[in-house]
Amino acid sequence: MGTKLRGLAVAWVLVLAACGSGTSGGTGSSGSYQGKTINLGAILSLTGAGGVYGPSSKKGADLAVEIINNSGGVSGAKLALDTEDDASDKAQSAQVAQRLIQQGQLLALLGPTLSNSAVAVHPLAESFKIPIVAVSTTGIHIVPDCNFPKTDPCKYVFRDSLGEEAAIPANIKVYSQKTHPKTGVLLVANDDKFSSDGGKIVQATVGQYGIQLLDTVQFSKTTADFATPVTQAVKKNPDVIFITSLGGIPAKIMIEARKQGFAGQFLGGNGFNTAVVSKQAGADGKGAQSGSGWYINNTFPSNAAFVKAYKDKYGSDPDQFAAQGYTGVLILADAAKRANLTFSNLAGDRTKLRDALESVNIDTPLGRFQFTSSHDVKQTIWIIQMDGAGGFNLVISVSPS
Amino acid sequence: MTQQILNAIFIGSIYALFAVGYTLVFGVLDVLNLAHSAVFMLGAVITYSLVALHGFPFILAALVAVIACGFLGLLVEYVALRPLRRRGAPPISALISTIGLALIFVAIVEQATPGTLFSWLWQDGANSVRFPSGAVPNPTYHVAGLTLEGTKIGILVTSVVLMLVLGYVIKYTQVGRALRAVAENRRAATLLGINVDRIFSSTLFVSSALGGLAGLLFGLALSDISPYIGRDQVELKGLAVIVLGGMGSIPGAVLGGYLLGLIEVLAFVRFGSNVEAGVAFAALFLVLVIRPQGLFGARLRERL
Repeated sequence: MGTKLRGLAVAWVLVLAACGSGTSGGTGSSGSYQGKTINLGAILSLTGAGGVYGPSSKKGADLAVEIINNSGGVSGAKLALDTEDDASDKAQSAQVAQRLIQQGQLLALLGPTLSNSAVAVHPLAESFKIPIVAVSTTGIHIVPDCNFPKTDPCKYVFRDSLGEEAAIPANIKVYSQKTHPKTGVLLVANDDKFSSDGGKIVQATVGQYGIQLLDTVQFSKTTADFATPVTQAVKKNPDVIFITSLGGIPAKIMIEARKQGFAGQFLGGNGFNTAVVSKQAGADGKGAQSGSGWYINNTFPSNAAFVKAYKDKYGSDPDQFAAQGYTGVLILADAAKRANLTFSNLAGDRTKLRDALESVNIDTPLGRFQFTSSHDVKQTIWIIQMDGAGGFNLVISVSPS
Repeated sequence: MTQQILNAIFIGSIYALFAVGYTLVFGVLDVLNLAHSAVFMLGAVITYSLVALHGFPFILAALVAVIACGFLGLLVEYVALRPLRRRGAPPISALISTIGLALIFVAIVEQATPGTLFSWLWQDGANSVRFPSGAVPNPTYHVAGLTLEGTKIGILVTSVVLMLVLGYVIKYTQVGRALRAVAENRRAATLLGINVDRIFSSTLFVSSALGGLAGLLFGLALSDISPYIGRDQVELKGLAVIVLGGMGSIPGAVLGGYLLGLIEVLAFVRFGSNVEAGVAFAALFLVLVIRPQGLFGARLRERL
């Protein structure tokens, strides 16, 4: 083997190692954390309205923990993840967070699932100075201003989930440029932060693309029968129905609207992006379009390995929430590896981890991952459509602006 | 507007069917069975699991589910009500024991995923599902700008017929007379040779079967079956309906159901969702101020 070739081979091995640390978070040679355990906590909505998202995040995160531990851990330290359910309830979410933080062993947190709960949990994490990575919250004022209306940036709050402020406008732009719709009606849940934030973004965006919003129909997330709000929307005969809501609601609206003879397009947000919603909507949801932070067939290094590992472990395809949960653990593992943790001074370690999070730069299923200066993501937006059978098809990918 | 009134009638039928079972137990046993909403949910869940997981045709699945819910009613009676009654506990204790049972029922469904103990009953955890397309034929008609769905018309007919049958049974049959006698005065009924415990059991059976039926019709019409449909969407409303109609009154529950459906829909159309629940409960409050016994409530202790 010539020197040049040998050099190439060495480079290749290094690349593999780097990818390895991307997907597995650390087969790093330094065993300086040998015998230690890095304790992480997650506050997720496994039941209640957010129960269509939280379990996916948990599966993704658990998978990452398993893969990292099976390949040597984080510089020798084992990862342990304690996931608690907040039942999709804001008050319960804050209680769970408080308990996890004060039990006094956790280095960092993931979650919570819903933006509505994040406004209670993130300020708590900030005040206790424990790093928290949001893996599914997409509302406005999640990062950096977690204490909104106070605008000073929260130092300990990060997110790896694509915000609706990027995703919804990108989706509307792509759809408008292709189809030129003239009119729309917005259906929005008004008693949930994520939903009402999405509604505001739609209202602020449609004008740019010449879409006239004929009506905004607000409803409660506890509505039983969507016939009434849907009748209000359908009778305006819009080209597009925008839905900003979460849980099973988008699917129920699509089903009802199709029954009432609506033949136009559904556009929405992150609430659409899970297999559960696509499956529930079924044929009635076919073509419903949204902007997503992840797409199953993306060609980023490490995505295919993630999809395969997930299928092997759970027997089903991962969705965006699984990819973001998985990525959340990779990010924390990478930061922990570089943070020179002491394992004796927890407060100090949390701060070191926080500092290291700001310089994360690894391959993940979401793409090459770095936080922006406001602790947010800057990533490809995948415009996807429900395929009518529980999955999604790619329309186009939009590069970060 | 006509479409909205149709919407109100459909949802009103479901409220009414749910509330009839609720009020029946209250009328006879003098306790509120707060597990009723969980049985409502299980009516939908059992039907769904029979259709989607075990390949039953819908009608058979629905029949099995309704009967199963009847037996769940017996479970409520034997586990949560009878032991307390035997010890002479005040009716408020039954409130707590039935809430406990409801929580257990909901938890069983919400925790069931593939590979768990109850995966034969439910595999979707906290998620909301719908009947597989094609499992239930739902011819939809568009007449004069109105949407008429087969399933919803079926629900309307089923509800009205069942409520009439129940009314007839209570008014004109031997069982009905015994039921009313027990509701009127337990001790006197016992002295007349009526087996009070058996009346209680059959009341729970019928009430829960109706609750289960309401649940499965809800799941069918609204494409929404989840562990939470009883708790989040009908429990409080059912309570409102029976108070509105008059505690223990079956015609009251029926009328109250339709009235609440109508008030809600009109409030939504006229004022929007912010005040929908507010208007409904304001109406309730007004009724209670003007007629504390509810629309059909007996002034004295004559019920059913």
